[in-house]
Amino acid sequence: MGVAAKVGIGCAGVLALVLPQFLNTFWISLLIQILVFGLLALSADLLIGHTGLFPLGHAALLAVAAYTTAILEVRHAIPTLLAAPAGVAVAVFFSLIFGVAVRTSGVYFILVTLAFGHIVWGVLLRWSSFTGGDNGVGNVPAPTFGPISFPTLSSYYYLALAVVVVCTAAYRVLVRSPFGLTLRGIRESESRMRALGYNVVAHKYAAFVVSGLFAGIAGVLYIYWNRFVSPATTTLVISAEATLMAIIGGTGTIFGPFIGSAIILVIRNYVSGFLVQWMTVMGLVFIATVLWAPDGLLGLARRYRARRARDATSPDMASLPKR
Amino acid sequence: MDQYAVEAVNLSKAFGGVHAVDGVSIAVPPGQRRALIGPNGAGKTTLFNCLTGSMSPSAGRIMLFGKDVTSVAEHRRTAMGIGRTFQITNVFHDLTVVENVLLALQGTSRRKWVFHRSMDFFRSNWERAGAELERVGLAGRASDTVGSLSYGERRQLELALALASTPRVLLLDEPASGLSPGERKRIAEILAELQREITIVFIEHDMSVVLGLADKVTVLHRGRAIMEGTPDEVKASREIQEIYLGNV
Amino acid sequence: MNWILQALNGISMGSLLFLLASGFTLTFGLARFINLAHGAFYLLGGYIGLSTLRATGNFWLALLAGGVSIVVVSYFCERHLFRRTRDNHLAQVLLTIGIVYVIADIALLVWGGNPLRIPPPAFARGPIDLPWGIVYPRYRFFLIVFGAIVAAVLWVIYTKTQLGAIVRAGVDDREMVDALGINVHRLFGLVFGLAAFLAGVSGVAGGAFLTLYPGAEWDVLVLALVVVIIGGLGSLGGAIVGSLIVGLIDAYGRWLFPEFSYFMVFGPMVILLLFRPTGLFGRET
Repeated sequence: MGVAAKVGIGCAGVLALVLPQFLNTFWISLLIQILVFGLLALSADLLIGHTGLFPLGHAALLAVAAYTTAILEVRHAIPTLLAAPAGVAVAVFFSLIFGVAVRTSGVYFILVTLAFGHIVWGVLLRWSSFTGGDNGVGNVPAPTFGPISFPTLSSYYYLALAVVVVCTAAYRVLVRSPFGLTLRGIRESESRMRALGYNVVAHKYAAFVVSGLFAGIAGVLYIYWNRFVSPATTTLVISAEATLMAIIGGTGTIFGPFIGSAIILVIRNYVSGFLVQWMTVMGLVFIATVLWAPDGLLGLARRYRARRARDATSPDMASLPKR
Repeated sequence: MDQYAVEAVNLSKAFGGVHAVDGVSIAVPPGQRRALIGPNGAGKTTLFNCLTGSMSPSAGRIMLFGKDVTSVAEHRRTAMGIGRTFQITNVFHDLTVVENVLLALQGTSRRKWVFHRSMDFFRSNWERAGAELERVGLAGRASDTVGSLSYGERRQLELALALASTPRVLLLDEPASGLSPGERKRIAEILAELQREITIVFIEHDMSVVLGLADKVTVLHRGRAIMEGTPDEVKASREIQEIYLGNV
Repeated sequence: MNWILQALNGISMGSLLFLLASGFTLTFGLARFINLAHGAFYLLGGYIGLSTLRATGNFWLALLAGGVSIVVVSYFCERHLFRRTRDNHLAQVLLTIGIVYVIADIALLVWGGNPLRIPPPAFARGPIDLPWGIVYPRYRFFLIVFGAIVAAVLWVIYTKTQLGAIVRAGVDDREMVDALGINVHRLFGLVFGLAAFLAGVSGVAGGAFLTLYPGAEWDVLVLALVVVIIGGLGSLGGAIVGSLIVGLIDAYGRWLFPEFSYFMVFGPMVILLLFRPTGLFGRET
């Protein structure tokens, strides 16, 4: 990592620690959201940027974790120390099932994960006796670990930040490991990998489940922030935005998903405050990213630096991971 | 010698109504250098695909060191000792040259599942990767991405990937195709230097490579094996010359 | 008795799904293009049809307007946006989702957020007496007939005419068709146009019994996707069979297990994929 990058991360780190002291609850809330959905986008990017699979149902994994933890806390008074891991476990369980999608190839995988996400949405909506239907599950108490609790938004921000930093560090170790390299090999050429002795399906499945683990953690972070969850959290729209966050920031990177998360959420939460047609803006951002910045902002930065150094090819559709 | 290194028994592969491979039997003893020649469309690559397991045959059996592997998955066959190159270069485009070789090296090792240690941790791996690149003449390009390699250099990498997994049976699909004469010579040198224990079956159109390397030649035409013999016998055969119509 | 009624409900739903899914599957089969905006086309076509109906009082004109308007929108998208994605499926997915956002937002602005129903034409109102003493809503019956006619016409064109043979060849091997000197771009244009027309028409037809509402662009899209996944991408026959299967399961599911009807629809899809990852009649992409 270059000096500039290290300095940048250092500054970001300092800002992250200090900023909440100067911001009002709207902005702290937004920062927490950026962290939570950034983690979701990161989980999706393990598949997109590293394995070459494009999931469109990850919001469902976040949602089942959120619902599980919510229901355990609200209806059964299970303490956070148990309810949180339970939420993550349920997300992993669902990814063990959804993971069969890796048996399908590129296009079908996109459609199947989309459909899976929709099943979850539909069941959450219709099974109202258990899930509360449209009304969702609310009044989730603040996360409490014995005598320590995080009742204020500000205190929760630091908890969420800590969790996300730990997850991101673990993610970084993962992608730099032999397993991570294996995934990238699969992204580049499955046929070559098979010829080299790799059980490609098994690796993809493992990647999917690990991705589900991170998504589940994001889900638990989500519910303790929002204190409420409803089927609206698991729509295709949210899953698509998670994918777009990874792409807009730059796939295959550690910070890209968080950059993308910041952009999308600012449009969704801030721009929507003064612009009625904010969804059109979001749609245009999707379109513009695909047409002009297919390897994201970090990719643009990389290419800009490369162009300054020597001649470089112009951006084209080939940069977006195929299949 | 009690078993063949690799063997196809009455192998057929049909696509729709077309028999790409039609009742081919071929038996290669260990250590032999076997050339597979024939006009385009004769079924050579399809035969390779059946041998490695990337396609499953419509009929017939495939044996590897005496074991029936007809229904064994491709990646398992690689673990059993089969390695191949592809006719159309099939390397990892957006990774560096050394990462390509590292992937090849860990393909048959449990290490590929390690998720908690960085790649840098495995020193011996990197040293071996360096040696493999040295062997094919790509040592200076280790940290370049494949995208920046020339066609010839990519073919070299293609060969390096197949060799890195230390196969006992090596299937080479037109290893010299599209290369300049100098590059061809280098490929021929690398192949000649390979250990005698390694069985090599290679598809080639370049007769000089075939004559220089092959112990025996099998000729395929329209999915059938029509002749087997030493390179000189095949070269002298009028029937083969007619089929090629001057391609040789 | 109820079983037969639900079967009819399923077939009428399947009919609607076919109108939508057929275009989607052919667009993919021929141009290798995933158009997730298909649902938005449905909704927009329906809304435009509704406005046309309000203005002219003529249902057939509304159907036509719905279809033609989407052909125009699709042409614009295809010419300036779709083409730039070439064969990159992820790009297509994200691009078309972006288009959905834009269309949905515009629709919200123009027609508002309340569910709107398209009043069925006069001849299709009320009940119809069918054999075996079954009394069924006339409009749904009309939908079954309409869908069957469209399916039959498409099938005949696809399998019996030279144009259909060219399209089938293109689905099979695009480069070959190109090499044969056939104007591939015009062929694409034709198929995209037909798909767009059907999507718009289905919006008007569906709007009469499903209502039009923000969010419908996703709900119908997902059902169409299940049809296509089960039937196999690129297969017209698969779209016909898949539509019927999904329509019937949806109808019976809602009737027997309303809380799990979604599960009923997607369950068979998962099981099918475990054994046939490319659907009933699909092929490797």
